[in-house]
Amino acid sequence: MINPMDLAGRTVLVTGASSGIGRETARLISQLGARVVLVGRNEERLAETLRSLDGEGHRAELFDLSSADEIPRWLKSVTASSGPLHGLVHSAGIIKLCPLRVSTSQTVEDVMGINVKAAIGLARGFCQKNVRASSGSIVFLSSVTGLTGQAGLSAYAASKGAIIALTKALAVELAGERIRVNCVAPGLVTTEMGQGQLSLLTPDQGAALKSMHLLGFGSAHDVACAIAFLLAETARWITGTTLVVDGGYTAH
Amino acid sequence: MQKTEFLLSLDELLELEPGTVKGSETLESLEGWNSLAIISLMALMDERFGVTLQPRRIAACTTVADLVALLDDKIA
Repeated sequence: MINPMDLAGRTVLVTGASSGIGRETARLISQLGARVVLVGRNEERLAETLRSLDGEGHRAELFDLSSADEIPRWLKSVTASSGPLHGLVHSAGIIKLCPLRVSTSQTVEDVMGINVKAAIGLARGFCQKNVRASSGSIVFLSSVTGLTGQAGLSAYAASKGAIIALTKALAVELAGERIRVNCVAPGLVTTEMGQGQLSLLTPDQGAALKSMHLLGFGSAHDVACAIAFLLAETARWITGTTLVVDGGYTAH
Repeated sequence: MQKTEFLLSLDELLELEPGTVKGSETLESLEGWNSLAIISLMALMDERFGVTLQPRRIAACTTVADLVALLDDKIA
């Protein structure tokens, strides 16, 4: 029997690993054999993720990604002890339900900071010599809101659309260095963040959103599977793409 | 927050002349009151006054007075 998504011998860094999709991705790829470097801001919750991983050699790193320019230097010091990285998953992100009339430049700043600036900082850091292995796979988190309109989420949508463009630009720029760059675009997933979004909607709005997801709302595991696929050799010939994982949300 | 401050916020949100909303209107009668206005009101209250409103409770309001009642202990 073979496992085409085997990640044995690979080291993968996952941001946003203290909850939601990041945490679930870390768990899944550890089960597939990867060694995982967990990144987050909450020590306790990171430790909780760390305890839930399969296998040996994982580590947790506390870091605030809002200082994007510090990322390359920080990644050098992390990989000095973890060894070079084969993969990077940027799952940290924030969402702000904020209709246009109450959106300010601060709203945009907050959302772009973690969702886009940190993504670029991480990619920059990942590409450095000794930080990455001879080939690598970067996976960013976009969203269906980067592909289709959703009211009240303009700044967030702009940041997730930016991720799709960034993915393509970096795929072209880094192909020569044998680094693949892809993103996943999930629909609404019942993580803490997803539940938080739902709680901001009226019952009618929530029901309408649910009916748009033809297969119901997703789980963090549904998205983690797609991320693992993009990290593994299964996606050896895939770069610059956006893998939509949305239970049919964008099918109509 | 003063009640007048809240009413002025509603005016601003609905792009009405300051002082338009008096407090006794039905929400239905206010042009621009819709589901996005509910979300905008939540965002505005949170940002300006640090008040967290529950969407289902706002959706259950039928008059401006109901909204004011929601803010009960927050309004001086």
